[in-house]
Amino acid sequence: MKLLIVEDQAKTGQYLRQGLSEAGFSTELATDGITGQHLALTGDYSLLILDVMLPGRDGWQILQAVRSAGLDIPVLFLTARDAVEDRVHGLELGADDYLVKPFAFSELLARVRSLLRRGSSTTQETSLQLADLRLDLIRRRVERAGQRIDLTAKEFSLLELLLRRQGEVLPKSLIASQVWDMNFDSDTNVIEVAIRRLRLKIDDNHEHKLIHTVRGMGYVLEERAH
Amino acid sequence: MRRLSLSTRLALLFAGCTAVVSLFAGVLFGRASEMHFVELDQQLMESRLAVLRSTLHGVDSLDTFKQRLPVLLQDLNHQPDLAVRVRGPDGHPWFDSSTRLPLELPTQPGLGSLQINGTDYRVLNPRTDNPDAPQLTLLLDITHHQHFLQRMQHLIWMTVGLSALATALLGAWAARSGLRPLRRMSAIAGSVSADSLNARLPHAQMPPELAELAIAFNAMLERLDDSFQRLSAFSADIAHELRTPLSNVLTHTQVTLTRPRDIEAYKEALHSNLEELQWMAQLVNDMLYLAKADHGLLTPHREPLELANEVDSLLEFYALLAEDSQIELTREGRAQIAGDRSMLRRALSNLLDNALRYTPTGGAIKVVISEAAAAVRISLSNTGPGVSAELLPRLFDRFYRADPARSEGSSEHAGLGLAITQSIIRAHGGQIRCESQEGWTQFVIELPRNT
Repeated sequence: MKLLIVEDQAKTGQYLRQGLSEAGFSTELATDGITGQHLALTGDYSLLILDVMLPGRDGWQILQAVRSAGLDIPVLFLTARDAVEDRVHGLELGADDYLVKPFAFSELLARVRSLLRRGSSTTQETSLQLADLRLDLIRRRVERAGQRIDLTAKEFSLLELLLRRQGEVLPKSLIASQVWDMNFDSDTNVIEVAIRRLRLKIDDNHEHKLIHTVRGMGYVLEERAH
Repeated sequence: MRRLSLSTRLALLFAGCTAVVSLFAGVLFGRASEMHFVELDQQLMESRLAVLRSTLHGVDSLDTFKQRLPVLLQDLNHQPDLAVRVRGPDGHPWFDSSTRLPLELPTQPGLGSLQINGTDYRVLNPRTDNPDAPQLTLLLDITHHQHFLQRMQHLIWMTVGLSALATALLGAWAARSGLRPLRRMSAIAGSVSADSLNARLPHAQMPPELAELAIAFNAMLERLDDSFQRLSAFSADIAHELRTPLSNVLTHTQVTLTRPRDIEAYKEALHSNLEELQWMAQLVNDMLYLAKADHGLLTPHREPLELANEVDSLLEFYALLAEDSQIELTREGRAQIAGDRSMLRRALSNLLDNALRYTPTGGAIKVVISEAAAAVRISLSNTGPGVSAELLPRLFDRFYRADPARSEGSSEHAGLGLAITQSIIRAHGGQIRCESQEGWTQFVIELPRNT
């Protein structure tokens, strides 16, 4: 999995690179539009992360060059401009996603993973599992250590999301968007309450906790050695 | 071209009016006196004519005329201003009383005037019933009349000129003193700047025409002052809101770095910084959103929406929070509207979030959707202590919180939610207001139906 970041602000570029590398991606960084476009067209990348405002060639032009060369790489835009027209323009040109600065890194990571996963997971799972937690997608049943757990529809969706993306830190905004279809900035603590309730049913009677809070970033479902 | 001052314009206008009026009066008077003189001349000449006719009575040939000539000359001697030409019935000239008379004189019957060698004459050719009688032409010297008329014309022109000049001067003075309140107004307007927006015009002492302008001017100052107050309060609030988290981050980072610590302490410091930074990022994003709205860049992407479904999804989202505080969430009514789904959800979620914050445990929040002829109404009411009337208009102000003892910090809402909601509703062409009484508070949104 090789990613190309085109970002002219040195500090931002370095941090993005470090963060994505530590998340397990191999990354390359270009700091101007011309180098960026050259790398995008010649290198074999799985995903492009483009800043809109770049010296040399801007993000839109790079995207156009990539698309007219017939490359179908997913492209994620980063920009400080968030005019709706920009968003529409980017999506018309074939951008796959869009993040407005300032954004949280956890949000970026989650979006990158979504984009990379897109198209690859074609197999229809019938169940999801982590340790002794099992979720049956067909009968819509959840069991932990052989014991059946009753969940509401939303709790089921939330757990399904956590299981599908186990090991990934999911920001609250992503959870709100995926489970409740709430696609707006909101500093409400609905998600905290939802996670607390899910924990009550999944984790409370068990020694090994599976749902973990990553302070300031979000929630992750994983098995942690204790 | 330089524009004339109001005083100059008024003075010129006054002068012009006076000139026209006095000229008219003068010309009228001149004509009247001239007509009067003509009448006098006619009377005089007719009386002389009667004398001449009686002198020449019975004359029917040049010979008989010559016999009467001495009497005629005697008559004429008494009248030095009168000249006479006598012609025979065939029109042949018999006699001129003065050698200065030209050969050709008007012969058509009636009164006329004539100038001979610079002297003005009134000419009378009387009608005669007797074709055998000699024809008479009387000429009356009217130089003295003409002199009088000329003097009067001079007098008229002088009156016109002087009265125009006098009214111009008086008019200028009157205009200047009449416009004094206007100058006072411009002096005050000139002195208005950002820090003296509290100056007001004393409209009670002004003439009614200007009082209206002064009241409008004062109202404008009032609005400016208010907007400016809000704007400067907004800037001050931004600084205030950012100062606390910034100083937290600064202090915490510096303290952490003063001496070596174990890894957990660094982690803790970074986490704490992260929370502050996230809060600031949210604040900046919200402010950018509002700035966009202020510049008219918030353009809703409209699609047909069933409001009841949108409200139900939001209520479902907030249901967990509501259950925690045992607050009952309900929705009534439905309506279709063309609007931006995510923007309207954001607007309503801010209201719900706000309502959940102020509704006491065991309370209720009710959303009612209703349709009127031209508008769709969404009202969101909650139980709990009301908002006092004087705070209602400020509720949608940025950084405004109903609780005056605001506490800032990462856990606290920044107070931009209602301002954002208002911007979204306005971007949809709608309106939002808040009504409150003891025991309940209600937000009412009205969206135009045809949007």
